[in-house]
Amino acid sequence: MCIIRLIQFWTCENRETIMEKNNWPPGDLVIWFFILAELLVFGVFFAAYAFTRANNVELFNEYQLHLDRNAALINTVALITSSYFVVRAVAAIRDDNSKGCFHWLLAALFMGVVFLVVKGMEYHHHFSLGINLSTNTFYMFYLSLTFFHFLHVILGMIILLAVALKARSGGYSAAEHTGVETGASYWHMVDLVWMILFPLVYVMR
Amino acid sequence: MEDKKFIRPCTLIYFLLLGLTVTTWFIGTQGLSGLQISLLVLGFALIKGQLIGDYFMGLKQVSGFWRWPVTLWLILVGSLVTYAFMISI
Repeated sequence: MCIIRLIQFWTCENRETIMEKNNWPPGDLVIWFFILAELLVFGVFFAAYAFTRANNVELFNEYQLHLDRNAALINTVALITSSYFVVRAVAAIRDDNSKGCFHWLLAALFMGVVFLVVKGMEYHHHFSLGINLSTNTFYMFYLSLTFFHFLHVILGMIILLAVALKARSGGYSAAEHTGVETGASYWHMVDLVWMILFPLVYVMR
Repeated sequence: MEDKKFIRPCTLIYFLLLGLTVTTWFIGTQGLSGLQISLLVLGFALIKGQLIGDYFMGLKQVSGFWRWPVTLWLILVGSLVTYAFMISI
């Protein structure tokens, strides 16, 4: 049944019609396979962090206290707000409002920049203290996990920028806006992953 | 006029996400620790993840196979992290 639906999806000229009929997720289906792959990788990372911590509880608890939770709060608020702005962008284009969609996406991108700046300041602080991947097991996980996510934020922003520029040039409409929903789905995945990363690395002890 | 039936729930969810985030941060700043606190914070995170999947990603409106991957991922990650924290005591 699932295979038949996949064939229907790929052979149909108007994918949105099929999506409404069969309740496919928003955006291009390919991005959802990509999202599942990304979630799998982050899931393995999170499990590896938690099980490694189980054998090094004192070390993890000690060095976790050195992290800046206020910066993590700002970054979490920035990503949630950015995701909400992307929701507004999708709503705007569904209403055939290309200009509104463009402006909401710009606002989302601005919050993405906030995230990158704050995270960059955190990295600068750690590196100025001589902390790196080989300092200890906790910092190895902290730096690799957060930098892996950091790169996903950058990729998400590139996607959102491309979508925003196309929206500005009138490339989307209420009838055809698969690209906006595709970019939005990826960005929400970046937000979703951070929702687990923030408490796991910064708070749980 | 933008679709209010779509935006209103998402706006409420946005403020709920902010509330859960600030609560998590507050617990972190108080230096609270222990299995119960950790699982409470993890529970907040899983709820936030499900809300993002349901409302921001729009999966609440999806039926069939694609309704479940995000939920299953959250359950899997939540279970593994819970188990790891339980054996760390």
